[in-house]
Amino acid sequence: MSRAALSLREVTVPGRLHPVSMELPPGLVVGLVGPNGSGKSTLLAVSAGLLPGVGREQNDVRWNGQAVATIPALDRGRRASWTPAEARFEFGFTVRSVVAQGRYAHGDDGAGVEEALARLDLVALAERPVNRLSGGERQRVLLARALATAAPLQLWDEPLAPLDPRHGLEVLSLARSLSRAGGTVVFSLHDLRLAQELDFVVLLEGGRLRAAGAPAEVLTPKRVRAVFGVESCLRPSLCLSLP
Amino acid sequence: MRAFGKTRFIRHSGLALVLAGVALLVFALASLTWGDVRLGPGQLVDGLLGCDEFAATILWQIRLPRLLTGMLVGAALSGSGLVMQVYFNNSLASPGLLGVSAGSAAGAVVAIGSGLATFTLLTVPIFAIAGALAATFGVILLARRGASTERLLLAGVAINALLGAVTSYVLSAPTVSYERNAQLVFWLIGGLEDRTWEHIWMAAPIVPAVLLLLPMGRSMDLLSLGATEAQSLGVDVPRLRRNLLGLSTILTALATAVAGTVGFVGLIVPHILRLLVGSEHRRLVPLSLIGGAAFVVGCDLLGRCAGGARLGVVTSLVGAPFFLWLLRRAER
Repeated sequence: MSRAALSLREVTVPGRLHPVSMELPPGLVVGLVGPNGSGKSTLLAVSAGLLPGVGREQNDVRWNGQAVATIPALDRGRRASWTPAEARFEFGFTVRSVVAQGRYAHGDDGAGVEEALARLDLVALAERPVNRLSGGERQRVLLARALATAAPLQLWDEPLAPLDPRHGLEVLSLARSLSRAGGTVVFSLHDLRLAQELDFVVLLEGGRLRAAGAPAEVLTPKRVRAVFGVESCLRPSLCLSLP
Repeated sequence: MRAFGKTRFIRHSGLALVLAGVALLVFALASLTWGDVRLGPGQLVDGLLGCDEFAATILWQIRLPRLLTGMLVGAALSGSGLVMQVYFNNSLASPGLLGVSAGSAAGAVVAIGSGLATFTLLTVPIFAIAGALAATFGVILLARRGASTERLLLAGVAINALLGAVTSYVLSAPTVSYERNAQLVFWLIGGLEDRTWEHIWMAAPIVPAVLLLLPMGRSMDLLSLGATEAQSLGVDVPRLRRNLLGLSTILTALATAVAGTVGFVGLIVPHILRLLVGSEHRRLVPLSLIGGAAFVVGCDLLGRCAGGARLGVVTSLVGAPFFLWLLRRAER
């Protein structure tokens, strides 16, 4: 068996995910696409080992070939990181202390926190209470905390949705640099044009895996029409990138 | 939840600890020197060292046990309240309002009323812990984690009523002698009068329980920002929750076993500290313990100055208006 960074075998979540099997090799930026309610968030949470029943025989999730159920909680915090689609902070922690929480599993406070703050453009907000940030700023705090964990497997639930174009591109370039360093970044998104530019695309529909592979093979006009109900074609359009 | 830390006035955690420590020290010294017999600084030192026999008797037999019991009870109730607020994700959770204090009291009353308490020192704490556990499970059954404030408080009302009935039954049972009944009523109001070294031994497990709580601040921080996120960051959430619930229940039970029902400490102290230093539990845990001890010793002093009002009366007089203010604040 190959050492897939993330592998799922016949993973089932009643009512939300029908048996899904897939293997993701390390070093990729993976886009998870599918219509609303197709199971993207569930798939990410299961992959992060966060849903009950993960690791049972019918829910075989493995990181680097090791069954997640056999990995102690603290180790999991160092090996994979997950961010929710929506951050609700109800306590007035400072941005810096929330990002430092990413170091919990490492048992230290500071390592990589300043870098993570700088990377997500949060230095100016570092002392602000998190419950007084905008949606996009909160999302960047979550991503900075995920970055601070230094986990090789990053699972992000719709990280780009609340971000402005500039910060969205920065997060994308962050994902690319993490994958170049050997990490695996899996995130859900709705922008199929962006998905087209990632290394690997996983397409879900109604809790089932429809296709997985290179974007050009997965997002064919025929499949896009069948799954999303929209027509698609390739033509030159406005392209945004970091200067 | 909504009432949690808007501003913090003290940014330096060291400073806050020092201030709480100084407050505790001042109250402790006042508690040792004030009373029917005023002791000067010289007498205090002589008495503590045993040079002055009269002062030594007052200090070692009356005032030190009272002071130490007060400190243990304050730290336990305040720490217990802080933990419950994290567990239920609601800043209005506290041992008194959720009925955990009433559970401990019911357990202890059964132990005293049935006469079992005369056999061994451990009976009252054990019964108190059993009663507190019953109340805790009752609250969890009625209001799950993250339940709305209304639901949580209503669950507390129900549990308080149920366990209050148990207490009332024991008090009104014809088998309980008149003397024992008087003793029970006196004890139920909650106070530090006539505490002996026996009571301190009874409450001694508070010390290891509190020490177990100290290193949990960081995981409490993570838990308070979301259970799933905490789990993903490496916190063993189910285990942490079990530990938190167990510790807070035992702390309340032991405090109640030695001092009767003392209300509002677990609500007021963590709240005021959160307003002062922010929401970080790594700072709040040690501060709540010291602050709780200072608060209870201070309230006891206040009661003694006010002609012997008992501790439970003072904390309720201070706490109930504060609680109403919090409710109003949370609504906005």
